[in-house]
Amino acid sequence: MGLRGYYKQFAGMTDEEITEELKERSAEARRQALAKVEAVDLSQTTWHELPHPDVVAAVTFAARGTLNLAPDPTAEEVRRALGRRNGIEPARIAVGNGAAQLLSAATRALVKPGEELLIPWPSYGLYPLMAQRAGAQAVPVPGGHDPERLLAAITPRTRAIALCNPNDPTGEYLPPARLRELLDALPEHVSLLLDEALVEFVADERAPAASLALLDDHPRLLVFRTFSKVYGLGGLRCGYVLGGPGSESLVAQLAPELGVGVPVQAGVLEAIRVCDPQLAQRRAAVLTERARMEEALHELPLDAPPTEANFFWLRAPGLSDQELAARLRRGGAIVMPGSGVGDEEHVRATIQSSAHLDRLVQAARTAF
Amino acid sequence: MRTDPSDTGGLFITRRPGTRPTKYRTLPRTAGETRRRADGLFAAFLLFLMVLVNLCFWGPLPLLCLFVGGRLQHLTDSVGVGLIASFGTLIGGLLLGLMALKRLDLLWILVRRASGVDQRQGVIGRIFMICCAIGAPIFFVWLLGFSGAQLSGAGNMGF
Repeated sequence: MGLRGYYKQFAGMTDEEITEELKERSAEARRQALAKVEAVDLSQTTWHELPHPDVVAAVTFAARGTLNLAPDPTAEEVRRALGRRNGIEPARIAVGNGAAQLLSAATRALVKPGEELLIPWPSYGLYPLMAQRAGAQAVPVPGGHDPERLLAAITPRTRAIALCNPNDPTGEYLPPARLRELLDALPEHVSLLLDEALVEFVADERAPAASLALLDDHPRLLVFRTFSKVYGLGGLRCGYVLGGPGSESLVAQLAPELGVGVPVQAGVLEAIRVCDPQLAQRRAAVLTERARMEEALHELPLDAPPTEANFFWLRAPGLSDQELAARLRRGGAIVMPGSGVGDEEHVRATIQSSAHLDRLVQAARTAF
Repeated sequence: MRTDPSDTGGLFITRRPGTRPTKYRTLPRTAGETRRRADGLFAAFLLFLMVLVNLCFWGPLPLLCLFVGGRLQHLTDSVGVGLIASFGTLIGGLLLGLMALKRLDLLWILVRRASGVDQRQGVIGRIFMICCAIGAPIFFVWLLGFSGAQLSGAGNMGF
């Protein structure tokens, strides 16, 4: 560096140069912000949109007004509303902190330590955990919702079957007629815990009522439902269980001792009152997008079993679940690898809005 | 200097004008201590040069103007030509001198920074004012008292 260059390096930038540099930096930051597209999260089965504003208002009103008071431990009003809606006596309904809590309570009540809980596998990851917490043994039955396999797996120590219908994560659905066959064939000492958290997404709109119709003839059936999925109230943690005639005392002991919170009861009551149009809309959206995805699968190097839920159980032949998830992640879609539930070939991709599905398809196209 | 409103009782205090830190295109690579000392001396020399140039405005330059104007008046026998030449020389000399001063001032800033001083502004204004305060009275005393020039009509006013 010469003498002139040495001193020139001490020359500061002029105001104009600084302004110009700031402008360029700001424009570059804007360009980068516009170019950056966040990956879409399709790994959750909860609804991606906010709940109905009236429900939020009801929860807020309850939180501001009566939070100092203890809730109704039996959630009488909610049970009555659910009873009217489902055509079941309120005494055969219990409200809990999510279907998971009620399932867990049912497992503890029905399966004693050392006894067995059958689980068609792969399925909801909580089931083995709730068996473990009850001191019972979880027995996974590979092969999906095949009643024959389930019946063959029953032993004298089996006390219950946890059946997720439609199944999370495979989307497999056992229609009411097959369900009835299974129930009819079940030995006396085995109960069926039917988790219908996703039943609203079944294409046959009679499905929710059809499974409840089984309650009258099968006293060892318990049906679990939730407000966490299609209602979009996952944060409220509220679910309910329905039992057949004579199940009143069992159902009552599944509910939390002091009931669910005041805002939860208020929100759920409002949801039952106002959310029907929204539910129909969401259900229709899922059915439409599911059909679109089925079409798209023909063009993609992916395959998936038929699904009746709001997700697909995708597989790319020759790729592990982690590799497929990583490829889709690079394409801008986050999916759930199946290895968490013991399947190292599949990933679960949730069907949300049309735009999200487009992103998933685009990610799949760029991944291969 | 704390400028955050949470540090100043809610007031948003900005930087005073002219106190912005110098922003370099790239961080300068300074030489060693010896070089910095040499640059300090160089900066002092540049300051001395600027003082000299400024003082020229109050001594050598007016003399030059008078000399040029007087010579031309003598050659052309015209007072007007002499006056115009004198003023032309004065203006030209001032402009050239100020241009030189500006360049020296810029160089002085750079050399001061090279010597390790956070020099943000030049010194040209202050030097000009100080030299004016010193040079102008001296010049007028010389002009009126020692140069032999007489104010027109001074005799009528009692001089």
